[in-house]
Parts: sequence; structure tokens; C-alpha cells
Amino acid sequence: MTPEFHREIGIPRVAAIEYPYGRPVGQVNDIEGQRTVLLETLSFMEKADNPGKIFHLPFTWPEEPKHTKWQPPEISPIAKLFLDEIKEAGAARKKK
Amino acid sequence: MNNTEKAVNGFRFLPPSLGAWIGKDIPAQPFKGDIPWTPLKKPIRKTSFALMTSAGISMKSDLPFDVAREKREPAWGDPSSRQIPASAGEKDIDVNHLHINTDYIKQDINVMLPLKRFQEFEKEGIVGRLASTCYSYYGFQMDPAELLERTMPDIADQMQVENVEAVLLTPA
Repeated sequence: MTPEFHREIGIPRVAAIEYPYGRPVGQVNDIEGQRTVLLETLSFMEKADNPGKIFHLPFTWPEEPKHTKWQPPEISPIAKLFLDEIKEAGAARKKK
Repeated sequence: MNNTEKAVNGFRFLPPSLGAWIGKDIPAQPFKGDIPWTPLKKPIRKTSFALMTSAGISMKSDLPFDVAREKREPAWGDPSSRQIPASAGEKDIDVNHLHINTDYIKQDINVMLPLKRFQEFEKEGIVGRLASTCYSYYGFQMDPAELLERTMPDIADQMQVENVEAVLLTPA
């Protein structure tokens, strides 16, 4: 889901996908879509021949991020605890 | 990168401020160090799989993941795991996770833990076998010591009992 974490911890094989959190395999009841994602992933698993390989799965989620409703109904406790820091990080990002 | 043209942006679905906050602690440089590596011993079509997810899925017959404590102690995440039988369906499971919308998993477990899809793959000869036990843990771990030192070795032991040769981990 977030292949960037590989830079922090090192992961043997990563099949990265740009799908919303909580639905990495695909949409609800989309059997063919889920199969396609998994078959590509298995194909990569078979080909990966050394540690640290990242395969970027070539699929695009059909909704814009703001419409995906992946977030929990309430802000997570850790995000709530660090809300000021999060806002500051967002403000610093805008300045760049 | 690889032979596909797409470059996955792992932050695309995060609100920009949250993405900036999380991203500031991720090194800009590639990972340096040893990465664990176990080569596949057989082709996928002969390999025995287990599935594992960090989505906080539990059987209704089991204790749910402890999100009440996390609400009291925001830096704490439940370090335990649950076994999920490969035969489990939506009616059998509960999902407790404070960092995602769990509704979609409750509607179709396969969006997170693709048990049905792997049962199909086994019947079709695409994979060798799906083990009878799959696994869930809770992905929010600020301190992963207990998860890594106690929970995961127990899972690995059970996988060895069931002759598991490869694991597909689907992060929440």
C-alpha cells in the first residue's frame, strides 16, 4: 500500500498497489478485479529473485481519493494526540 | 521501479497533512541493511500458502482486538494475533481497527484477506494449496517488540505445522 516504507524497514518482496487503505485486493464483490490483482501479485512473487524488489502493480482505483471513504468514522487516537504536529507538517508542506 | 509504467504513490489516499506528518520520518534514501530472504522452493502452482493481514480481523468466537485500550493509550496497539480459518466468511468475522473504515471488509472479506480467491486458485491449480489456518494481527504498532518477539514466532510455528511455504501479507 505504501511502498515508501520499504526505505525505512526493508521488505523482501513488495507488490505495491495504489488502492485505498482497507481494500488492497480490490472492490467489494469484484471477483474478477480481485483475481487480476492477485494473479499479478503471484506472478511477481514467482519472478522476484533477490531481496528488496518492489513491483508496482499497474492498476488504478476508479474513484478519486476524496470519494473513497477509507477513513475511520472517528479520527484515530494517535492522530488526535498529534493533531497539532500533523497540521504543522501540512502547513510546512504547503510552503515548500 | 520495475517493468510496469506505473509508479505507486503510497500517499495518494492520505489527507496531505497526515501524509506530510507520516512521510517526514521516512528516509529519502534507499534502505541500507540486510533484508530477510527465503527463495521460493517450488513454482507457485505447487506452493502451499497462508494468508495474513494487519487489518484487525477476528473470529466472532474469539476476543476482538483491544481498541478500547488504544483509545486510552493512543501510542499502544494490540500486539496479539488471531487465527482465521480458511473457510471463514463475512458472517463469521469481526473487524476492529481504528485507522481504517472497516465496513468494506465486513461486506466482503476478500478485499482484505482473499480467502475465497485463494480457494478458487487452489481448485484451478494456480497455487498448490491454501493452508487451513490464516492469520490477522493489528498493524498499528508504535513499538513492535512484542509483535515481533512473541506473536510472530507463534504464528511461524503454526505455519510450520501446516507446511506453509509462502505467505501473502495484505496490509490494511
